[in-house]
Amino acid sequence: MASLELEVDGLRRTYGTVTALDGLTFGVPAGQVFGFLGPNGAGKTTAMRAIFGVTALEVGEIRWRGRPVEEAARRTFGYMPEERGLYPAMELADQVEYFARLHGMNGPAAARAAKHWIDRLGLSGREKTRVDALSHGNQQRAQLAVALVHDPELLVLDEPFSGLDPGGIDDLSSILAERAAAGVTVLFSSHQLDLVEDICEAVAIIHHGRLVVSGPVAELRRGDRPRLAVRVTGDRAAAWTVSLGSATGTVDAVRPDGTAEISVTSAAESQVILDLARAAGPVEHFAYEDRRLSEVFRQATGASVGQAEAEHAAAASAAALKTGAGR
Amino acid sequence: MSTTTDQEESGQPGTRRDSSSLRVTWLVARRELRLRAKTRVFVITTAIMVIAVALAVALPAILSGKSKQERIGVVGGVTPTVSAIVTEAGRLSGGRAVVVAEPSLAAAKTALRSGDLSAVLVPNSEIFVKQVPLGGVSGTVGTLAQLAGLSRLIETVPGAATAVAHGVSLPVSGLQAPSASLSSRLTGLFTVIIGFILITVYGSQIALGIGEEKSSRVVEVLLSSVRPVQLLIGKVLGIGLLALAQAVAMVVVFVVAGFATGSSLVHGATLGAVLAGGGFVVLGYAFYCTAYAAAGSLVSRQSDVNSTVLPVQLPLIVAYALSFTVIYANGANTFYHVLGFLPPTSPIAMPVLYAAGDVPAWQVVVSAVVCAAGTVWMARLAAKIYANSILRTGPRISFRQAIRESRNA
Repeated sequence: MASLELEVDGLRRTYGTVTALDGLTFGVPAGQVFGFLGPNGAGKTTAMRAIFGVTALEVGEIRWRGRPVEEAARRTFGYMPEERGLYPAMELADQVEYFARLHGMNGPAAARAAKHWIDRLGLSGREKTRVDALSHGNQQRAQLAVALVHDPELLVLDEPFSGLDPGGIDDLSSILAERAAAGVTVLFSSHQLDLVEDICEAVAIIHHGRLVVSGPVAELRRGDRPRLAVRVTGDRAAAWTVSLGSATGTVDAVRPDGTAEISVTSAAESQVILDLARAAGPVEHFAYEDRRLSEVFRQATGASVGQAEAEHAAAASAAALKTGAGR
Repeated sequence: MSTTTDQEESGQPGTRRDSSSLRVTWLVARRELRLRAKTRVFVITTAIMVIAVALAVALPAILSGKSKQERIGVVGGVTPTVSAIVTEAGRLSGGRAVVVAEPSLAAAKTALRSGDLSAVLVPNSEIFVKQVPLGGVSGTVGTLAQLAGLSRLIETVPGAATAVAHGVSLPVSGLQAPSASLSSRLTGLFTVIIGFILITVYGSQIALGIGEEKSSRVVEVLLSSVRPVQLLIGKVLGIGLLALAQAVAMVVVFVVAGFATGSSLVHGATLGAVLAGGGFVVLGYAFYCTAYAAAGSLVSRQSDVNSTVLPVQLPLIVAYALSFTVIYANGANTFYHVLGFLPPTSPIAMPVLYAAGDVPAWQVVVSAVVCAAGTVWMARLAAKIYANSILRTGPRISFRQAIRESRNA
């Protein structure tokens, strides 16, 4: 693994009775697209805002290239907040250029960069359009242009894929991959774990403001024990697996079509399992499979992403009722 | 960028990013200037205000030039005594009166009805006017009536005519300097109206602009690379420069139009009232701009700005409303004098007091210094409130809450 460029170390932050961050720690290597995942309400946005100093921390430190993040470093970062926001009455090109200059670019360089990203994001011809006159999708692109225009060394995007259609997801993921290939550290958040598992190389998954697991996606999906998916013709309940000894493997789940998901203790045991299945009937399907990230989450926390989100929503509305701040 | 150790990036040659604090503040100010100066609203309001100033200066001068001379018809022959009485009556009442010989009373009355004459004098007998105003005659005609009556009384004394010709009234001297002329007072009032408009209009623009940044959430992107205080200073600086440009344009038009029309407004104390008023507009803006910014930072929706701005405006409105009583009364009361030295009200009250001749120049300077000190205090408090509130979403934050939290911060 490459050396860590961004280090998030022991962040703690509470809002009244709600703990948003509870000792969150993880690191992001350079030149990778890094996913920061977890259910809604897990603390992702608070952590990302902390990187930019727009939320105060009670405890903890964020380091960039080994040094605590300060103003000068932040000017080399690009940020797309969860709540998108641009000046509604400002023209697109003026706006993108303005943010480039705020990040330290001089006039001509800012104009060139703004033009480059407006073209790259398919907004050519809209340079003189007011931002509030752009379509929702184009406003999203404009927001991305603002985050990218000053050629940041760290790119932090909060839920960049939410609200995008499949084409938009492909466009954005190719831009992120391209930036990462250029050496940029790319950190983005998402609550849709399975949607983004193919987009990022490594992830940190968090829950209740704490790290659940972190590492390369391929390793996490494979897990400690490889998974076999086996289906025997006609056996919808996967009854053949009763004869499976725990020394060989354990059944994690049975799918509606009768496919058994088996965690295998070692690669050698796979042939034992194949023999067992063939003894029960014709084997339709026999393959190693990667777990989904949502399953990695469930195995680590004991709750599904959906359950975790429902629990958070209930807690949030209870807290809102208590303080009377129901907006 | 290959360097991984030096984050400071001071402006050595070849550095791509120039991140000095002043530069960022100026970029913010420049955005405000460029965006607002090209709007139609700004162009039109500037034109209207400049034209209003030009008219206010030029019209009285043009109108007063016409009515300077009063024509008094005299029936039954013009003697040197009668002529002297008429001239003296005009002089005593602050204008000029000329004698117009009329052949007969009937002809004189016709001229009076047509407005050609102001009054008709029949020596030792009667004075006619078109209509006796409520409360009796005053001005030239009133003085004429007295002088003519006096003249008739002393007719029998030899040499009286000569005495009258030398003037009949004794000079009157006051122990204190004369109170300010009406033109100076009106100029003071006018300056204060303009100042009040500039401070409240541009102050509201600050509050609305900040409300817009907060409600559109663009502020989070901004604050990821700009410090709150830079954003705040840039904003009030940009909008303030626009306000200053308008104020300077109005003062220039005032002076130019005043000299061009020969208006009495540009002489002596009146010009001082304009300059004092202009100075206090700048001070008033400096004092209030940060308060308006703090008010704007408390809301989540732009439509809430009006309600948070009201408490900020209240002292201005009180001083403004009371200024009318000072302009028209002979001398301000103690309460208004106190307002003239309190930073929230002095930008309005002090120019009025000065224009009305109620305070000497050194007190104006003292008030300005107090206001400047108050501005520093206000800017510190407002900057804290702003920094605390600008990223807070949810319902509107009350001033009391914001001040309490800014103390703890």
